[in-house]
Amino acid sequence: MERTVTVVPEDGLHARPAAKFVETANEFDADVRVAPVDGDDPVDAASMLAVTSLGVASGEDVRLIAEGDDAEAALDDLEELLTTPETESAAESSSGT
Amino acid sequence: MAANESAPRAQEGTGVTPLSGVGSAVWYDPNADLELGEPPAAEAVDPDAERERFEDARDRARAELERERERTAERVGEDEAAVFDAHKQFVDDPQIIDGVEAAVDDGLPAEHAVDAAFEDPIAQFEGMDGRMAERADDLRDVRDRLLRLLTDADRVDLASLSTGSILLAERLTPSDTAQLDSERVAGFATIEGGRTSHAAIFARSLGIPAVVGVGEDLESIDDGADVLVDGEDGAVIADPTPDQRERAAAGRDVEIREEPVATADGRSVEVAANVGTLAELEGAVAQGADGIGLFRTEFLFLDREAPPDEDEQFEVYREALAAFPEGRVVVRTLDVGGDKPIPYLETPDADNPFLGQRGIRRSLGPDADLFETQLRALLRAAAAESGTLSVMFPMVATVPELEAALETVADVAADLESEGIEHERPELGVMIETPSAAFIADELAERVDFLSIGTNDLTQYVMAAARENERVADLRDPCEPAVLRAIERTVAAADAGDAWVGMCGEMAGDPDLAPLLVGLGLDELSMSAVTIPEVKAAIADLETDTAEALANRATDAATRTTVYEHVNTTTDQ
Repeated sequence: MERTVTVVPEDGLHARPAAKFVETANEFDADVRVAPVDGDDPVDAASMLAVTSLGVASGEDVRLIAEGDDAEAALDDLEELLTTPETESAAESSSGT
Repeated sequence: MAANESAPRAQEGTGVTPLSGVGSAVWYDPNADLELGEPPAAEAVDPDAERERFEDARDRARAELERERERTAERVGEDEAAVFDAHKQFVDDPQIIDGVEAAVDDGLPAEHAVDAAFEDPIAQFEGMDGRMAERADDLRDVRDRLLRLLTDADRVDLASLSTGSILLAERLTPSDTAQLDSERVAGFATIEGGRTSHAAIFARSLGIPAVVGVGEDLESIDDGADVLVDGEDGAVIADPTPDQRERAAAGRDVEIREEPVATADGRSVEVAANVGTLAELEGAVAQGADGIGLFRTEFLFLDREAPPDEDEQFEVYREALAAFPEGRVVVRTLDVGGDKPIPYLETPDADNPFLGQRGIRRSLGPDADLFETQLRALLRAAAAESGTLSVMFPMVATVPELEAALETVADVAADLESEGIEHERPELGVMIETPSAAFIADELAERVDFLSIGTNDLTQYVMAAARENERVADLRDPCEPAVLRAIERTVAAADAGDAWVGMCGEMAGDPDLAPLLVGLGLDELSMSAVTIPEVKAAIADLETDTAEALANRATDAATRTTVYEHVNTTTDQ
């Protein structure tokens, strides 16, 4: 099962969004892979190294591919994560005045 | 001898804090003890035992990272703490683990296997540009942590540097900076790094004099040498002259005034600190804050599974109030928007969260229960200490919103009364952040005890220039005539409505703008603690007449350029 999602967080798939993404992918039994939509082979979504090395920026599309019992739930959670604005801008709005 | 030979040459870098420090140089080389040497013969290595050692090192690394994460979240903030989450993911990365296990199976001890497994990924990231290259630093940090745990190398204990040390390093990782103790470190300088590096952000949060990105010249300074780090001018000076030393020892040429300050002709201005955690209270007191002008309460609610209960909040507010027995603590009620990641709150996506349901709009809507609990805790805290507790509502745009909030306060007070719980009505106020609030400031002022101008949001809304958009950064200047006139209008409304008026944005902490702000008639200025001494000094030097004349010229100006011309003329006098 597969889905294409546009990455919303300002940082793209780096730093905190990437850490959360990998953490979430690890919560499921399904084997999840991720790839930039134009080209490159999918990589293991449970690997911080692999996910970070894709260098996906905000606004770019990624393909999410999941296989296994909870594949759909995994894709749902990961999609939500990728389409939610990053917490950094939120933290800034709260820390500001 | 020529004068230029007696004055030591300054090395230039990027200053990241407006602070200077003098001390004794301590070079920090975190990898000095991590030389691995040649691996033993493969037959001498027991792969199972090595796998176990690796597992054990990962367990300990995770535990350390968790501690450092907590410490950083508490001292600096959630944003900076997040890097440790990324590090934890690298510790558990399947590619790394596979690489290490394969190398162990080939007969390498765990530490050599770790070193080898990180080699390619680090090289890969190093070859990329910009932010990707920074990931190489993260990987090195994770690798070195594992190596240190595997080899039992002593960690250079940055937390116990002798007092008065100036730390010199090629770079400081997040793990390094998390350990720094601002009481002991007189400053630091690094060969690499920029204004937005982790080290720079930590230095600002902790008030440590720091210069980054000095370059390899820094290596010419020997261990133990006397060094001056001037974070304001971005200079590092070895063997400074007595004159240079004296100026640095005076902090930043400015004394810390613990007493409240008044202009030269006797007009009092309250100078307070903005804080976002309890940990920052100490720094606020140390810098001579008269009180807290903005106590953000979001930290209580973020990163947990359930909201804090009334008693937990009561203790936090009480503690903040206790830090200023004769002062005032202004607490802002919860300001979260549609983009806040609070797991137990429904926060629907919005195209433009800054124009969406945030602040009081949520407190009167989906977060009504949280709002009530927060107010109960605040009213109880107001009665528990001698200082003055003030409560203000963020993002108010209409009179009915304010009236609904005030009604909730009255209801909460009545509930506490009937339950026989000790409480007190705090001072109540409104933040002036929306253009709407500035336009109806007269109506708002009549209904409350004070107004507090949040210039960061007010500027973004008045100028229609989003805070996170760098392309319109130039428009986001609080000295734009439109923003100044909104401030002027707000102050006039406060005076007419018998309310005091303060300011709690970045603008308030700029000592060069203090004459303008005092001239505009603000009763209170609230800022990052670190700039309080400068602002107090600027106010003490001021004549109210001069300040008011400046404010008149500035609010009459047609352009920001003219405003700055007036400001600079007054400052230079």
